[in-house]
Amino acid sequence: MKELILISLLGIFVLALDVLQLRKLTLPAIVLGLLGLMACCALDWNRNEQPFLEYGGMLLFDNTSLAFTFVFSFLALLWFLITRDQFATDAKRSDLYALTLFSLCGAVIMASYSSLVTLFLGIEILSIPLYVLAASDKRSVRSNEAGFKYFFLGSLASAILLFGIALVYGATGSFDLATIAAAGQSNSSLISIGCLMMLAGFAFKISAAPFHMWAPDVYQGSPTVYTAFMSTVVKGAAFAGMFKLFAIAFNDFTESHRSVFVAMIVLTLLWANVVGMRQTNIKRLLAYSGISHAGFMLAFVMLGASSDPKWLIYYVLTYSIASMIAFVIVNYVESYHLGMEDQDGFKGLVKKNPTLAIAMTLSLLSMAGLPPLSGFMGKYIIIGQCMRADLIGLTIIMILTSVVAMFYYLRIIMLMFTPLENAGRIIPEKGQMWIIGIGSVLIIALFFGASIFEIIQW
Amino acid sequence: MLTEYAFWFLTFVAIFSAMGMILSKNPVYSVLSLIVTFFAIAGHYFLLNAQFLAAVHIIVYAGAIMVLFLYVIMMLNLNKVDEEKRSIWSKAAAAASFGILLLVVSAAIGHGHAQSELQSVADTSAIGTTETLGLSLYKEFLIPFEISSVLFLAAMVGAVYLSKKEQYN
Repeated sequence: MKELILISLLGIFVLALDVLQLRKLTLPAIVLGLLGLMACCALDWNRNEQPFLEYGGMLLFDNTSLAFTFVFSFLALLWFLITRDQFATDAKRSDLYALTLFSLCGAVIMASYSSLVTLFLGIEILSIPLYVLAASDKRSVRSNEAGFKYFFLGSLASAILLFGIALVYGATGSFDLATIAAAGQSNSSLISIGCLMMLAGFAFKISAAPFHMWAPDVYQGSPTVYTAFMSTVVKGAAFAGMFKLFAIAFNDFTESHRSVFVAMIVLTLLWANVVGMRQTNIKRLLAYSGISHAGFMLAFVMLGASSDPKWLIYYVLTYSIASMIAFVIVNYVESYHLGMEDQDGFKGLVKKNPTLAIAMTLSLLSMAGLPPLSGFMGKYIIIGQCMRADLIGLTIIMILTSVVAMFYYLRIIMLMFTPLENAGRIIPEKGQMWIIGIGSVLIIALFFGASIFEIIQW
Repeated sequence: MLTEYAFWFLTFVAIFSAMGMILSKNPVYSVLSLIVTFFAIAGHYFLLNAQFLAAVHIIVYAGAIMVLFLYVIMMLNLNKVDEEKRSIWSKAAAAASFGILLLVVSAAIGHGHAQSELQSVADTSAIGTTETLGLSLYKEFLIPFEISSVLFLAAMVGAVYLSKKEQYN
């Protein structure tokens, strides 16, 4: 419970600092707060806290949710540090920081709900600040469009999710996950349809096909720093919520409707990689890459109780670090090419700034899943689990689409290492270059970190 | 007997005004028929002994939200009939997908009813009163109640941020 209280108070504290004209303290306060949040997760480990049980409870901080919370706060910390320069001159950064923190609060709820009511509140707290952040570049038409599109489609997805919750409540008379799990889901058509509608709502949030249409437009239009946040923390939070719902509470449903999940994964992987190949805008390309990774992560949910949540956490962590670094580098490059985020801006990047080019190469190769990088380990684990579950067709499609994806990642890498006659402006090294460095090291180190995950038992 | 007549009356009003909302070309008529739908649904809440919910429904939906709708329509001057033409295919696809959804949901509810899995509550007289609602809000639903304050704060900060005047320099 103290995690949730801490993160909410941190958001309010940032707003208060703005009122008190102490904007210099904002970032140090956030960094301290997020470190505190990570410490709280470590302190509560193994406690399985269910706060205010005498008042109906509705939250459960078990080890899985604490691990997710830890990962989210780590990613948020990385995000705040890595985007520091972007906000240095922004007079209204307190509002934006506060909204980001509120969104993180929603992510914490998504990891630790134990009732459909808190699930819905979590999803809304996660999304509503994001609609604003997507539209936060008020002078850009693209950003306005992205915010609007995200808001309308997101509201529709929330409505469908809520309808599903209502049907499940109507059939079982309870919001509590444990009660619904005990009732079983395969014997009642009402619960099945409720679950399917909730699945559709979630598929929108994780941008899985056929509910992914918004992702490229929103990722492209939003200011790139928030795209980095959206494709990492927010996607991870949606998966945390989804795993808890479909793999643990609705395990019956997931088992009996496995074909629905398989169809969604296959469609997601094929669509994302085939359409992704034809993108020339790097933000759209990364959005399609995110969609295809959503397909892989959805497989963890599909396998349900037979898959361990720690591998999903591992996948979320490795994908998020690579994706965040890629988007932040796109942000750098486009800020030196006057808002041009087309792939041409990356031509000959190795001459303009070798550090950026190498970090970008590492993160793209990690997303592609090349062996010495952590992205490979994530894909290896999920493909292995699908094999063990006798889903041979799905496994073959996963491997084939990974190869196709490799093609468009390599195209960007080739572009960066193409020599240019007139290199143009050199992109200067900046203060937070070291964070990109640390991130790149993490991409490599987490490859071996998989064995640490193997050791941790919970 | 009277409640049954009232039920059928309200149901017809709700369905026909909802159809009027979708079918009318003029956005102002659409909004007005939506208000009628809301009143009919509030009447249903009354019949189900949910007086508080009925009152809130009228105040929030028919009051606040509809006034906002009308205000926006008049401000954007949308009351001219200049509806964007959509292709017949997208219309057909939307109608088909939502038609299937309606069919499946109604079939499931009918099926569920046959299994008598819908528990009927014996005494409904005390369910919807303000007292019961308040008690369950501050007892069973205390945590969601408190958490929703974060939601409203976030929405408020966002609304202020978006509507604040940008300084061009």
